[in-house]
Amino acid sequence: MPGTEAPPWRFLITPKWLAWHLIVIGSVYGMLVLGDWQLHRALAGNALSWAYTFEWPIFAVFAVVFWAKTIRDEFHPPAVAGAAGEGIELPVGAAGRAARAAATSPAGEPATPEEEADLAAYNAYLARLHREVKGHGKWHGLR
Amino acid sequence: MRLNVTLYRVMAYVTGVVLIVLCVFAIGQAFTDDAAIVNAIGTLHGLLYIVYLIVSYPLTRRLRLSAGPTVAVLLAGTIPVMTFVVERRISHRYIEPALAGVTARLPGGHDAFSPRPYR
Repeated sequence: MPGTEAPPWRFLITPKWLAWHLIVIGSVYGMLVLGDWQLHRALAGNALSWAYTFEWPIFAVFAVVFWAKTIRDEFHPPAVAGAAGEGIELPVGAAGRAARAAATSPAGEPATPEEEADLAAYNAYLARLHREVKGHGKWHGLR
Repeated sequence: MRLNVTLYRVMAYVTGVVLIVLCVFAIGQAFTDDAAIVNAIGTLHGLLYIVYLIVSYPLTRRLRLSAGPTVAVLLAGTIPVMTFVVERRISHRYIEPALAGVTARLPGGHDAFSPRPYR
């Protein structure tokens, strides 16, 4: 129904994103405070602090720019190399089997046991890949 | 993509090596009390880290990393030895599959090696 869908910016106020907003604001504020502290140290005669006086604000700007770009990418996802359907990588031999299965058993016709075994094996392969991918966000240690 | 990967790897190793050298001299400073070298290397590392950020952030976007790995990549340049660990891990899990063009369709709307589905 038109008018009832969530607005496109709705994800920005989900708890996860709100937490990230707070982290970014807090870290930017912290970096500016550190830059100010280094400025005072530099004015007090600490020559090394001049470098950090400029570095901390630069890091703060980076945080803001990266943040803005991340949000922009959420609205306009960059094109992915190999559009949907083209980059599909099947296990060795599966591509031929899948094509044969599609050719020999049109929709609605019962599949032969051999084809069903092929399909089960391929689904098991997909499930394994899926499990591996689901662990991507976690830290696995050195590999 | 390939250029970005190369630049990232170069900066990860250069920044990592300079950071380790900095740590060695910082420990040495405790005994010699000569701050000049440590200050120079510290400033150098600060500048290299800025370049590291400029190079590695676009790569995290190209690889479509989720928040955790992205933060890990960006902060690695400030923690001794971490650039090597993170570079190795990111290469294995994301860069090599991406360069090989592997994007298998998976159940649940996930693409292999690009685990965060875009809306």
